[in-house]
Amino acid sequence: MGERRYRSASGAPVALRRRQHSASCRELSVRCPRLQLRSLSAVTSAVWLAAYGLFVLSENSMVLSAAIFITLFGLIIYLHFVKVDQESLLVIGSLGIQVTSSYASGRESTTFIEMGQVKDVVINEAIHMQKVIYYLCILLQDPGDPQGVSEVVPLFQSSKPRLDCLIEVYKSCQEILEQRKTAPQSS
Amino acid sequence: ENSPAPLPERAIYGFALFLGSWFGFILYLIWAYVPETWLFSLGLTYWPQKYWAVALPAYLLVAIGIGYILLFGINMMSTAPLNSTHTITDNYAKKQQQKKFQEEAIPALRDIPISEVNRMFFLPEK
Repeated sequence: MGERRYRSASGAPVALRRRQHSASCRELSVRCPRLQLRSLSAVTSAVWLAAYGLFVLSENSMVLSAAIFITLFGLIIYLHFVKVDQESLLVIGSLGIQVTSSYASGRESTTFIEMGQVKDVVINEAIHMQKVIYYLCILLQDPGDPQGVSEVVPLFQSSKPRLDCLIEVYKSCQEILEQRKTAPQSS
Repeated sequence: ENSPAPLPERAIYGFALFLGSWFGFILYLIWAYVPETWLFSLGLTYWPQKYWAVALPAYLLVAIGIGYILLFGINMMSTAPLNSTHTITDNYAKKQQQKKFQEEAIPALRDIPISEVNRMFFLPEK
């Protein structure tokens, strides 16, 4: 299964890659656009121009060194904590769902939800920052109430793909989730 | 009983309000413009400071401007976040009763669970 190009909610290009590891195990990864050189140089120039303006006003050369350090540390913190490179969803039929976010510095953050807690994977619409967006989310089962939903786990928060990409991911997930109804319950 | 038609009582209320607002406006102008000494000579010594004749309209306009921003902010704060169950259901939907299905009748109005709606929209192949 190859890689298809889609758009995010803000218009940036994202790519969806689907891999089928076995009959009941699928991995879906959405790759976000890389950090653009032009936005990086725009931010750096703006910070350095502001620092130079402050230096001209205050005649203190520490402002310039401070601006260089701020730019460097700001970039490192941004790449390590904020900039997401790839978000992936690994659905294993009898076991659970694993959600991984890989950041631009190489850090990976993983969450695993076991299949007993998963009620369903749905596409929900909600208001987000003066827009209505579609987003994929995992509904967690309420242990007391078979019809109830205890928690909503939104997926693909940084890449925010549009509805066409979400429908592909939804169909893939539903094919695996349907197998748990036909398969006999073991616990 | 509650029609919006013009009635004699409503005409009288309107005229009383009209006269009252004109009286209030003329009083405000007198208070703001007539010099203090003239008011004192008339015996009116216990009126508020003229500072307030400028301060109160200024406060009112700033309050209206902030009110726009405040309303926008309250709206943004009350919007449910993406991970809240309020985007999926609420108390009324959880407590709804299932009415029995009758032949040849329009089905009763109810909240359809989101899983069903998703299956209907996104799963069938055309």
